Amino acid sequence: MSRLADHVRNKRIVICCGAGGVGKTTTSAALAVAAAQDGRRVLVLTIDPSKRLAEALGVTANTPDPIRVSPEREAEAGIRGGALSAWMLDPKQVSDATVARLVRDPARARELLDNPIYQQVTEMIAGMQEYTAMEALHGFVERDEYDLVILDTPPARNALNFLDAPRRLGEFLDGRIFQMLLPDRDGGGRLGGTTRRMASKVLGGVFGDEFYADLQVFFAAFSSIFAQLNGNAQKMRERLQQDDAIFLLVTSPVRTALDDALYFEDRIRELELPLGGLILNRSRHDVEDKPFPGPELLPAHATEVHKAALRNLRRLAERERQHEQEHQQLLSTLIEHAPADIEVLTVPEVPGGIDDLEGLGGLARWLLDDANAHLGAAAT
Amino acid sequence: MSLVPILDRRVVLVSGKGGVGRTTASAALARAAARAGKRVLVTEIEEPAAQTQSSLARMFGREVLPTRPVLLAPGIHGCVLSTEHGTEQFLGDVFRVQTLARMALRNAALRRLLHAGPSFHEMGVFYHLLHLIRMTSPDGRPRFDFIVLDMPATGHTLALTGLPDILLRLVRRGPIASALREGQGWLNDRRTGTAIIVTIPEPLPVTESLELVAGLRSTRMDVGAIFVNRIPVDPFDDAQRAALAELLPDGPLYGKEELERLERARLSIERLREHARVPLVFVPQFDADGVGATEAMAEHLSEELRR
Repeated sequence: MSRLADHVRNKRIVICCGAGGVGKTTTSAALAVAAAQDGRRVLVLTIDPSKRLAEALGVTANTPDPIRVSPEREAEAGIRGGALSAWMLDPKQVSDATVARLVRDPARARELLDNPIYQQVTEMIAGMQEYTAMEALHGFVERDEYDLVILDTPPARNALNFLDAPRRLGEFLDGRIFQMLLPDRDGGGRLGGTTRRMASKVLGGVFGDEFYADLQVFFAAFSSIFAQLNGNAQKMRERLQQDDAIFLLVTSPVRTALDDALYFEDRIRELELPLGGLILNRSRHDVEDKPFPGPELLPAHATEVHKAALRNLRRLAERERQHEQEHQQLLSTLIEHAPADIEVLTVPEVPGGIDDLEGLGGLARWLLDDANAHLGAAAT
Repeated sequence: MSLVPILDRRVVLVSGKGGVGRTTASAALARAAARAGKRVLVTEIEEPAAQTQSSLARMFGREVLPTRPVLLAPGIHGCVLSTEHGTEQFLGDVFRVQTLARMALRNAALRRLLHAGPSFHEMGVFYHLLHLIRMTSPDGRPRFDFIVLDMPATGHTLALTGLPDILLRLVRRGPIASALREGQGWLNDRRTGTAIIVTIPEPLPVTESLELVAGLRSTRMDVGAIFVNRIPVDPFDDAQRAALAELLPDGPLYGKEELERLERARLSIERLREHARVPLVFVPQFDADGVGATEAMAEHLSEELRR
């Protein structure tokens, strides 16, 4: 059994990372289908699926809870016994639910939810999308309704933005920032009058006094909540270091794939997070034996037109073969450089993309097939 | 082409899903503009993880781009748009007396707030862009009269183009509000600003491009063109097509996948023609890569954009 098959069968959290456009969402969904085929209760959390993939999974934006794929449709994906649910992550919704949970007094919760700054804040705070993904993951893992939660991380140019975001948010949530913004109740507090006066002058000048006043109200109402959110982010980070969680890097056959993978591996080890494997998506490396078009295709009384058509067909065939060779080369290089405990998996290019459960089911079987998994060859 | 030629705008945002050749297209557009005599600046948004190599820089044979414009090629400068740089610039412009700005920036907590706070990240980038638009040469003309911005993932594009409207709802007066209005003036006026969407002739990228056209319009951004990249060359004429049907066996064969790709490309282009209502610029598949590809594409764009 490949290690990935083992992860899908036994882990509780799988996090798919990767730059934008590599097919991360499809891969996450396929892994979810694979686990459900194996009889597990699976939830896939996704941020921004293409419309057709969302339709295939049966999810729409703004639903309060995950949506279970209907048994008839599960059968299309080869799922019998397991259960597949999907949820489209909505930062605003996660954030509202968190406020409602943490603020016991309903009147105070209302006040926060109605604050004009709060209403924009989920879209505005750097890293908020990544943070709410963490928060949602935290919630679902705690609740224990699912055997496995798969997180499709927010799209970014860099696969590691997701790992950096909670740290960035943590900096923002730094207590001293609040001190500076909170209304002056006790004649300066820890910060001292000079700093506070300067901050007030700078921020008033930058934002205009009106907005600065709104901002102070917002922060006064929010300071305790932020502290708690920060704690959750930290807890989740530690939770992800446990060995029932796994990170996967999804990459596509581009020239920078090797550099990207090595960099990712370095960083993830530095953060002491478990790397579960590299998935090379849309690979066209030779997967089936097929003949090359030759003169045997010509009919008995071939005309010049037939021959010209064959010449052009051979040109296309040559291009196709060249693509396969390039991808084969890239795969070999990845295997050669990946450490011996890391698995490199390939996913074939599916012409036109995958947009239904049947397609995801096929992709799932492919992902778990031993023949498509290669252990790295580099010494660790 | 559209009523206002692309090369006559001041700011062009190049957007598109990863892997469609967006960065190559940005670099090629910059080269095409430079050939047309424009003083070009090509930019991208700085990534928080500083170690990230820049593929845009690589198109000009460099590893990374600095925060201040440097000469990359004849007529083309390049730099990153940096939150931090934009914020410093902004504070400097707001507090003409530099002491307060400098004092503010020395305060660690304040620096962090400005770095990570509500929309400050986008705001910094936005202000940096505005600053570059405003720059003038000693003769009083704009320092750069054609600014290409290679945008990251499409969600970020809409975050930037939608920023002024969102923030202006909260901040109505003061220096941020006036900077936002000024920037909005450049971006949303189709005589000066436009967006180009790069895509490839495949079903999913085309679907996403059509969604992006709608998204950009909802932030009042003009879409100047869709670049349809990597159009596979169909080598068959009609007679050969008919003959081909007689040649192809039922089983697998090298070349069949490429034939299917030709068909998907044809259908994708048809869909774009029917639904996008935006000028389409077709870019063939080039064999070269890196610098070679941008040069080949620039050559092609120079022709296309002149029409």
